[in-house]
Amino acid sequence: MEEKIDESLDVKGLTCPMPMLKLSKAMKKLESGKVLEMLGTDPGTKTDLHSWCDKTGNTLLDESELEGGVFRFVIKKK
Amino acid sequence: MEQESNKSALSQLFQTFFLKHWPVWVGGILLGVLNVFLFMIKSPWGGSGGYNNWGENIYQALGFFGIENVTPTSASLYGMLNILIILGAFVGALLAKEFALRIPPIGELIKGFIGGGLMAIGAKLGLGCTIGGFFSGVPALSGGAILLTVGLFLGTLVALKYLMWEMEHLPGISSGKTKTLLAASRGQGAWQKWLGFIVVIIAIIIAYSYFGNNDIMGWFVIIGLMLGLICQRSRFCIVASFRDPFMTGKSSSTIGIIAGLLIGLIGFTIIKQFGIGAGDIALRSRELTWVFPNFWLRAPIGGFIFGLGMTIAGGCAVGTLWRFGEGQVKLWAAALGFLLLSPIAKNFIEPGFVKLLPHSTNFRNFMPDYIGYIWSVIIVLAILLIWYLFVKWNERTGKFSAY
Repeated sequence: MEEKIDESLDVKGLTCPMPMLKLSKAMKKLESGKVLEMLGTDPGTKTDLHSWCDKTGNTLLDESELEGGVFRFVIKKK
Repeated sequence: MEQESNKSALSQLFQTFFLKHWPVWVGGILLGVLNVFLFMIKSPWGGSGGYNNWGENIYQALGFFGIENVTPTSASLYGMLNILIILGAFVGALLAKEFALRIPPIGELIKGFIGGGLMAIGAKLGLGCTIGGFFSGVPALSGGAILLTVGLFLGTLVALKYLMWEMEHLPGISSGKTKTLLAASRGQGAWQKWLGFIVVIIAIIIAYSYFGNNDIMGWFVIIGLMLGLICQRSRFCIVASFRDPFMTGKSSSTIGIIAGLLIGLIGFTIIKQFGIGAGDIALRSRELTWVFPNFWLRAPIGGFIFGLGMTIAGGCAVGTLWRFGEGQVKLWAAALGFLLLSPIAKNFIEPGFVKLLPHSTNFRNFMPDYIGYIWSVIIVLAILLIWYLFVKWNERTGKFSAY
């Protein structure tokens, strides 16, 4: 079942470290239990995000690849 | 049946390399080994010299600044090495179907160019970049390399503060129109794999054309291709190794770099102590290989400027190359800034800067001259161990992490 998306973050075209910086900032503002969707194109994010979620305790609900080389990640705030 | 299982064995091998990214420490160890190979053949890995060669060739062709008698890139070991690193990363990205032209907002392109320019200036003033000055310089037991590292660290921290400030106060710089072209998502893009194999064949032909009359270059071409591929697959990033503990607290990049330094330290020390590969040159000049005359103030000042540049650009000398090959257009701007500014820094900034510093410009600080090989190695090992313990502790506690 698809989660309801509370916030969307577009980091397409950006490269390390900007996606993770923007994500960290966006997640800070989010209330606990809310869900954020991030769209990006940096392959590095795939690896960074897993370790970041492990560390912060946020949950990576879904990751998928859309058309045109865009990665989509759905993250739930702890 | 037999053919089937052979095929699946090959596809298994392919998946091992190209389905997922490798742990950074795997990349670090492999890069450390290849760095030792480069030193055995000729001299260790370096990055900024190659950019400078590209820039000087361009200025010579345009007739700017009276720059002449430049070594053509096809005859420049480090100029070629850098080209092959780009090709190797291109291959890595293609075979993993990760290649795409990723065009960032214009503000990011400008940051890339400025970052590249700062790296060029820092590398000229400090006589070394993150590769030659740090990743090779520290294992070369150069006292100046330790100081350069301190400068790189401080530069990275200041630039990270800037990036966080920029995000709060000038978010427009990193937002705006972006474009992604040629991506191979969702089962499409088999062409990327084929092109990857074609590029490998081209690189082998280039290497082959050198063997016989310039064997050193032949090996530099092959090793360069491998360096680029390994960097791309393991996302080996020296900026991240300095920055991440203070950003998200992640320690994996730092540990990867430490692994590479450790291998380099053992290999380089053996080569220097025994004078392996000295050939016609004296043992002493073998010992002093990659011990640059940047002790004392040149190294930290240059390192600081380089640290600022690489953090703003989002890639150091080599990080810029492999992300270039992966299709990150921001790093194309960084490479352009680097190669255009490098000859300018060499001819117009470096001479005046050196006069300002009160020390001999030819002095090389080789640590074993003062404390012997054993203690030099012990000291570097101790620094690496403390660094490792710090990033692991910080990852656990988040004491120094911004997020």
